[in-house]
Amino acid sequence: MTDKMEEKVALQTDASRNQGRRAFLKGSAAVAGGVMFTQAAHASGGFDPKKAVAPYTGKAELTDVLQDGAARKSLGFGVRKYPYGMPSPFEKEVQRRTLEWLTPDSMASITMSPIHQLHGIITPNGLHFERFHGGVPTINPDDHRLVIHGLVERPLIFTMDDLKRFPSISRIHFVECPANGALEWKGIQLNSVQWTHGMMSCVEYTGVRLSDLLKEAGIKPEGKWIIPEGADASGMSRSLPVELAMDDCFVAYAQNGEALRREQGYPIRLVVPGCEANMWVKYLRRIMVHDVPLQHREETSKYTELMPDGTAQRFSWYMEANSVITYPSPDFKMQGPGKYYVRGLAWSGRGKVAHVDISTDGGRNWKEAHFTSVVLDKAWTRFEIEWDWDGSEAFLMSRVTDETGYVQPPMPQMRKLEGTNNVYHRTAMVTWRVHAWEDGKSGGLIENVQY
Amino acid sequence: MYNTKKTIVAVSIAALFTGSAFAMSENSNSNAEVSAKIDGKYASNYVEIIKNADGKYLDKAVIEAILGEEATHGRNGMVGKLDPANPYSFEVDDSIDGGNHGNAQCKIPKAFVEVHESAAKNYFDDDKFVARGFGTPIAESALEKWNISVDGDGKGLPDPSVGMTIEEGAKIYVQFCAMCHGEFGEGAKGYLPLAVEEDLVTSDFTDPAPMKSVGNYWPYAVTLFDYIRRTMPFWTPNAPYIGDAGYLGMTGYILQSNYLVMDDEGTELEDDTFFNSEVLMKVNKYMPNQGNWFCDHRPVIHNERCMTNCPDEQVGWDGTGDPTKYRQARKLPDGTPQYNVPQRMHEDKPGVGHAGM
Repeated sequence: MTDKMEEKVALQTDASRNQGRRAFLKGSAAVAGGVMFTQAAHASGGFDPKKAVAPYTGKAELTDVLQDGAARKSLGFGVRKYPYGMPSPFEKEVQRRTLEWLTPDSMASITMSPIHQLHGIITPNGLHFERFHGGVPTINPDDHRLVIHGLVERPLIFTMDDLKRFPSISRIHFVECPANGALEWKGIQLNSVQWTHGMMSCVEYTGVRLSDLLKEAGIKPEGKWIIPEGADASGMSRSLPVELAMDDCFVAYAQNGEALRREQGYPIRLVVPGCEANMWVKYLRRIMVHDVPLQHREETSKYTELMPDGTAQRFSWYMEANSVITYPSPDFKMQGPGKYYVRGLAWSGRGKVAHVDISTDGGRNWKEAHFTSVVLDKAWTRFEIEWDWDGSEAFLMSRVTDETGYVQPPMPQMRKLEGTNNVYHRTAMVTWRVHAWEDGKSGGLIENVQY
Repeated sequence: MYNTKKTIVAVSIAALFTGSAFAMSENSNSNAEVSAKIDGKYASNYVEIIKNADGKYLDKAVIEAILGEEATHGRNGMVGKLDPANPYSFEVDDSIDGGNHGNAQCKIPKAFVEVHESAAKNYFDDDKFVARGFGTPIAESALEKWNISVDGDGKGLPDPSVGMTIEEGAKIYVQFCAMCHGEFGEGAKGYLPLAVEEDLVTSDFTDPAPMKSVGNYWPYAVTLFDYIRRTMPFWTPNAPYIGDAGYLGMTGYILQSNYLVMDDEGTELEDDTFFNSEVLMKVNKYMPNQGNWFCDHRPVIHNERCMTNCPDEQVGWDGTGDPTKYRQARKLPDGTPQYNVPQRMHEDKPGVGHAGM
């Protein structure tokens, strides 16, 4: 409860409080004149309206605002106060954040999206996660070019206007750093879903099919790999087999309806749907068609997975199916026993999400959640399921199955097979421990624990 | 709903093997039988099996139908995936040599049929394509300044006349690199070490992850030249005042700091070795960790989608099925649960289980 109870209204006994809460839990609650009546509860018998005092009536902070305030009594600001609109100042805590101890400087670092504060499946451009290897350049698009050369019939140079003349496509895709979840390989480090799963975002991209551009230049028969390269200080490069490039890759110039942000590769970036975000080369300026892979540092020294026996896995392009509960998550506290709508995100680098199942008992029994968003190929999918929390300790988990039939594994299984030195592609399930409501001051806390 | 669908998948797969009358009356193609096996091991009609299972190429039952009942998880299952005949293999034939290697290649497995079909539609089978003529043709020679790529075979390296002695390279290294990477490549200020002698195998899963650097981890030495010329010094990459000769000298010094060799006799790089692209390619051939790499073998796990009373090993931490057996973040001495404690107490180096990003 609150300490701002007003005595004259809140004359409660334990019995009336419990009764009020029971009625509340039955749903269809309505507040009238500081006393709560519910038709359903009334009809079900045993409910005495005289005793019914809603647990929250008399909270001054709830009713004070019924006075007309400044918003109603004065004019707001006019048009074009902000020629480019900004979120309400009350949303100022919704930010991408970083852990300063993670990297020695901010030009080769990462921020995480506040996925516990996002709704739906689209990440706003200002909250898209960031990952830089050499800082963010500010590139004048008039001076930017894309070159396709190497094993092609006709090397070509494109201006940004050239690219926009091509047929365009718009697709909603998630983009995920393969180190998303890496902090959790050795155990629990951080108690927030922003830290455990925030190295990803999901936006709508618009651009040109890579296959259209490559066919324009004409790949020679011996051209088996494409090597995209960025115009920034890191000169980011990766190697993609032609099959992957021709599948569904595109060169994007827009993100959520506007030009890409500088942090995401302005003026153009490569989009490699479903694959690790390191391959989505930003500030793209050159695509070399080649007969062999580059064996670049980012596909040998980094973005490779060290196995328990000392061998290492490379060219691990695809992001496995993954899911996480974003509410309730360790960023929240339970508000008392009762009904909750457990919701979260599921995604797969290999196609559409087929099922998401939720367990509240640590993985013994599962119930299928329903989707509250559209289900798109290689995109975030929102799931939700009703949960009656009885106030006892619970272990919340989500498990995705994608359309290829892949089922997200539990952490002990992944740890046993893959070890814990991989750094990348930790896609096993996570567990949120909900502390029992009657657990002293930690009652209702939600804790990130690991199996 | 789940059960129904699953049953259909199972039935259609069973049908492929038995070819029973029941199966024919169901949805499957009557020609669908496992008549032949690739290499005597893998179902040759894997495309059909996958199609009949609604494209579920990572479904447990489908994987087992194609690879055989013994298709296993993880490391054991990987052995089969190193076989180029295996439709789930990422490996191409010429990369499985285990010894002094050329440029290893990986591919999209054949079993990922939807990727191949899409690539065929967009490219291999697109005979209707007509060039739009947007873009401007450009001569390859005009791109020389941009073309800084050196591949795993050493294509793109400077002419052998370009280079310098390791001793000269060391001076350049100390001037431009040592403040972040240490004079001997030991690392500094949280930046990556370039030369460590660490075993890549740890005895316990809670041990800190091994430090990975050029000598103990990198499969290619040419990568080092490509990378430092491309990106270093961090604040002014691809510096003309260092030039190809300087970048080669720095490369040579780092390779020497890792005690790498360039022939069967184990000859190391000496201070007066003139380090050029030819010496670099010799070292490239003797990188100690080169045989320990394999192409992506995921998925390593193909579970059933269990809904009720799931087995003990899928519940809790230790396989006993107790959900209250879990691991927590470390606690401070006063018992307060805190996160990232080792880093805060300066016991561990910063990082996500490895040094730097």
